[in-house]
Amino acid sequence: MINPELAGIIIILIGLYGLMTKENLIKIVLSINVVSIGLVLFFIGTGYIEGGDVPIMPREKVVDPLPATLMLTTLVVDVAITSLALALILKMRREEE
Amino acid sequence: MIPLIVAFPLAAAFLTSILPALRRERFSKHLFLIGMLSPWLILPQIINNLPSNEVVGNWSRVSGIEVAVDAYNIPFIVAELILSAFVALYVWGYYPRKIENKAYVLILLLHSGLLGAFISRDLFNYYIYMEIASVASFALVGISKEKGARRAAFKYTVFSLLASYIFILGIGIIYLKTGYLNLALIKENLEMSREINVALALSFTSLLLKSGIFPLHFWLPDAHSKADAPVSALLSGLVVKAPAYGMILLTLTFPINTSMQKTLLTLAFLSMFFGIAMAILQKNSERLLAYHTVSQMGYVLLGISLLNPLAAAYYALAHSLFKGGLFLSVGSLAEHYGTRDLEKLSYRNNKSLMLAIVLLSLAIGGVSPFIGAFGKAMLIENLKGFLKYAFYAGGIGTLVSFTKLNYYLSKRGEKIEIPRRKEAISLSLGILTLLGGIYLYPHLSVFKDSISLVIAIFIFYLLRKLGVFEVSFKAFTPEQFKTLGKEINAYMVLFTAVLLLFLFNFL
Repeated sequence: MINPELAGIIIILIGLYGLMTKENLIKIVLSINVVSIGLVLFFIGTGYIEGGDVPIMPREKVVDPLPATLMLTTLVVDVAITSLALALILKMRREEE
Repeated sequence: MIPLIVAFPLAAAFLTSILPALRRERFSKHLFLIGMLSPWLILPQIINNLPSNEVVGNWSRVSGIEVAVDAYNIPFIVAELILSAFVALYVWGYYPRKIENKAYVLILLLHSGLLGAFISRDLFNYYIYMEIASVASFALVGISKEKGARRAAFKYTVFSLLASYIFILGIGIIYLKTGYLNLALIKENLEMSREINVALALSFTSLLLKSGIFPLHFWLPDAHSKADAPVSALLSGLVVKAPAYGMILLTLTFPINTSMQKTLLTLAFLSMFFGIAMAILQKNSERLLAYHTVSQMGYVLLGISLLNPLAAAYYALAHSLFKGGLFLSVGSLAEHYGTRDLEKLSYRNNKSLMLAIVLLSLAIGGVSPFIGAFGKAMLIENLKGFLKYAFYAGGIGTLVSFTKLNYYLSKRGEKIEIPRRKEAISLSLGILTLLGGIYLYPHLSVFKDSISLVIAIFIFYLLRKLGVFEVSFKAFTPEQFKTLGKEINAYMVLFTAVLLLFLFNFL
């Protein structure tokens, strides 16, 4: 069976492939997003415990909530950077014209 | 006490950003200056209680975020505070009214991000603060007046961001294997395994990219030379130091095996010489200085690879002061001449800038008793045989390149007026490199320094006679690629290759 960590790493490699082969700048930004999604999946996988429950109220066996919260921060960075990169592309286009 | 050093500028950044909404935009200058200088109030207390550490909010170490100040990061913090104070005074009234407020907010964020990264002892917290500083610097490169700055900023964004993601992947693997993000706890519970080695390879490669070490330096000359003068000073002086501090944290926590150490050592020397060679060929003043950052970061990496983090930290302090000063002084000249072409610039009519640039050039060349000599003396202790001579050769190469800079600048040019404040800032940084050097390392080696200066000047005239400075070198410039997309693809392949090299090296 494939586990989420492995799936995350495969998705990161797909993103890296996109960065190495795609010339279109928008596609480059999208490839970066693919890398970040793979990373999020990897982290969520690291916190998972077989048969674990949601860590909301004290229970017997819960999954590790820390990786998920870390990924929230990374997602915020990701959103900020994506908008910045897209704004830079728009500015570059305007300069070329 | 320690977290306040970050809290003040961060709060100032927030308050400055809401000023336009409150229609109080005219106060943003003042708030900016308060935010930039407020950490100085806390510095004396931190220095008195050295070393100290605390967990933010008095949580236990396992559940909280630890910050610390000790011998390894105090040089970084002092360098940050000194250079950012000078840049703050320089930037005061520098930007046009339309973008003034935004530029101030970005610089404040950069300031607090760097301070946060330098005090952090928790891997994820370190990453977050480094990222705050990086994102602010992408935007600051993007708002430059220079043509092509947007292109440089985009390239910088893409590569720096990919490096960050690879770094977090490394952190994730470390967390998976040890169960902690706090470095002290990781060290206590560490059991080396293949997975940890993979994590180290990933994080080292990404930090090398972020600190602009050859062959992963490709984004640096563009980003640092297209930005405005004060932003270049911050980028070259401080932003590249945050990943270097990350590498120091890693070497202090994890055992580094000898094959890894050798790889880092080789990269350090390659970076030193490549940076110098490229700098000698440049005709653009800012690009010349940017390539010197590649070479000087090689010295910092040398300290890290010799497992001498103190030397790396003090060299980083020295580099922040003189490179920040050089970018500010040469940048002021370039701005008032309206060109960055070395042949058109001149400091002949401007005695205080001339003195500043000469002092800073001597400091970067490692001439005693300037601060550069102190860093070099610490680095050379661990070097043996051939490497020692290579190290001296690097110092002479730097002097050759700065002889060239001073030679071009000392030619006669048109008369221009440069504001007193800019002159004073450049000159005080120049004097500070001298005073700092005397304070930290009061040794004078007249014989060795005069020999290296004479050799450097001789090599410079030899190169000039051979016509090396007339060569226009098209390779390694953005123009050799058809499109930005192609350029990014090519460098991405290079990054992946280095990543694989490191993975094989660590396993």
